[in-house]
Amino acid sequence: MTIGIPRALLYYYYFPLWRSLFTNLGHQVVVSAPTNGEMLEEGIKQTVSEICVPIKVYNSHVIELLKKDVDFIFVPRFVRNNGREWYCPKFLGLPELVKYSIPEAKEKMISFDIHPKIDDTFDAKDFLPLCDYLNVSKRDLKNALKKANEDFLKFRAFMEKGYDFERALSALDGIDNPPPFKKGALNILLIGYVYNIYDPLVSMNIIQKLRDMNVNVYTFDMLNEKFIRNPKEKGKKIYWVFTRKIYNTVRRMLLDDEIDGIIHLTAFVCGPDSVVGKLFELDCDKYQKPFMTIRVDEHTGHGHLQTRIEAFVDMLKYKTKNAM
Amino acid sequence: MKVAFPYMGCVTAYDWFLEHLGHKVVMPPEPTQRTIDLGVKYAPEFFCYPFKIMLGTYIEVAEKGAELIISSGGCGPCRAGLYGEVHQRVLDHLGFNTEVVIFDSLFQDPKDFFRKVLSVKNNTSLMSVLKYFSIGFKMVEDMDAIQRKINILRAYEINRGDFNEAFSKIKKMYRKCESKKDVLKTTVEANAMLDKIPIRKVREEERIRVGIVGEIYVIMERCANNSIEEKLNNLGVEVETVQDISSWVKHNLIPRRFNKEKSWQVIEKAKREYTPLNVGGHDLENIGWMIDFAERGFDGIVHCMPFGCLPELVTRSIIPQISKDKNIPILSLSFDEQISSANVQTRLEAFIDLAKNKKKKPGLFEEFEFKEAAIV
Repeated sequence: MTIGIPRALLYYYYFPLWRSLFTNLGHQVVVSAPTNGEMLEEGIKQTVSEICVPIKVYNSHVIELLKKDVDFIFVPRFVRNNGREWYCPKFLGLPELVKYSIPEAKEKMISFDIHPKIDDTFDAKDFLPLCDYLNVSKRDLKNALKKANEDFLKFRAFMEKGYDFERALSALDGIDNPPPFKKGALNILLIGYVYNIYDPLVSMNIIQKLRDMNVNVYTFDMLNEKFIRNPKEKGKKIYWVFTRKIYNTVRRMLLDDEIDGIIHLTAFVCGPDSVVGKLFELDCDKYQKPFMTIRVDEHTGHGHLQTRIEAFVDMLKYKTKNAM
Repeated sequence: MKVAFPYMGCVTAYDWFLEHLGHKVVMPPEPTQRTIDLGVKYAPEFFCYPFKIMLGTYIEVAEKGAELIISSGGCGPCRAGLYGEVHQRVLDHLGFNTEVVIFDSLFQDPKDFFRKVLSVKNNTSLMSVLKYFSIGFKMVEDMDAIQRKINILRAYEINRGDFNEAFSKIKKMYRKCESKKDVLKTTVEANAMLDKIPIRKVREEERIRVGIVGEIYVIMERCANNSIEEKLNNLGVEVETVQDISSWVKHNLIPRRFNKEKSWQVIEKAKREYTPLNVGGHDLENIGWMIDFAERGFDGIVHCMPFGCLPELVTRSIIPQISKDKNIPILSLSFDEQISSANVQTRLEAFIDLAKNKKKKPGLFEEFEFKEAAIV
């Protein structure tokens, strides 16, 4: 059977795991095409207008998969991590956001709740409902998941070496193409969720654009989980999984003198980012780190992005020159 | 210590309760345009609207010298759980010497909860605290009931403004209470006052009833929702709101097993029919209430939410389906600092016309494409 995976949201984090899992169970994985304007048009028409652009992108990929006539579409519901942290509410309501916006998808959805213990390996019990959907035994699922976890850790190891998503994925498939990190170039931390910074349409290839300007780009998923856990301190912690990751990445990188500046790429009306965005601003102010927020949605133009990052990079170059 | 709280729901009772604990209360003024402007100026741009209004209120009370602000919290996944932290950071940044104390759920971290109770109770004996709390809560309950009554009767008032005038008098009457007996007496008096106000008589089949569901702050506070209840009443429509402080407290404070609140029953309904999981706010409850309103034969539902509220946006994506299944018109409105009164008024008028027409000619509605019927 063919299982469709929308190239959106957590695809950019968990795809190697899902691909390995379904292939090892003997199914064929179909991924929707990279986001383009026409696809997004259709997603926008079907989705509630006020929601953030990643969900609109997700729905356009679901529509795309329906056109490809796959047997199933994998729409997992990530709920809680470790019993303490939540995923962003949009992940909790993802199956509803899909099936009530695109009624045709309802019949084809593979959708169940996932409560991972830690977010880099999964227990068989997280994926147990798959047995019913795909008619496989629990033992097969366990074996497949074990291999999938191994593959995922290999993929994470590439990410931690500084690969971006596409490069890590092809490295996993045997085509190793290390990312360009140059000595003496500017180092910029690009902070933002995987589904924004790696989506070609939403991010407008910001990573490539920065590299073309001779800049070394770092992202939060290049850090090992153990560096970005919540520190032991009083007070309420950020309780969304990926938001916690980006927040602690910034807090860590603020102490790093190698990092010349921070760019925060966020989607319009992103709830968690509206909280940490303010905290970033206050923190960067305190540590005197240059900081810029780029807010994107389906209306953002290339020119806008290009102008702003050029100005930011120029400013950083000027600053380092003057410091010397 | 000078104590304050956000302006939400029955502020008279909070004022009364804290004063009896021996605090000096800085009464938050009812939010005005200045409050909203202050909040918008200093809050993160895309934070939700309730946060901004609350921040405006906090700045106003801090200007008046409040040292402690008491509010309730949450533990995710909705943003409301982090209100306190960000409020505190912004107040610190502005240079106010004000502490924000957040009461989270008792069951989440009992130790922390009791530590905060101790810090607020101000050497009052625990027995007295409980006594004052029970009187204060009775006050909240009764005033909420009166508010609910007004939302129905005001639809038929002959001299516009009678009910509002009566309610502001009633609030003052409650403020003077000292014991539970006083509260009960005041409630009887207040009800008598309302019953004396002249109203139009309508036939049962001519009554138009609309339910309001949505995010708790937006549907409770008229500064946040452009006095939507009053606007609907002025169109001759009875209104029932699903959230107020007394039902919120009862919903959350009584352990689940003994909790007989209707809000829990409607949640079961929503779970059975539409979605298995609460996404963060009151979404499951709201879906449940929509089903309930439809079953009770209401003529329409207005869904109010702050702009960009994710849990309510998940609800909004389900609304067309509910409207279709239950054959009831639903209007969903987002509120933020940009909304204008004329916008709300026009949309409500159009919506009520639709609901009235549907009542007159029930068959007419079915001819519409359903996606249009739920004005989303």
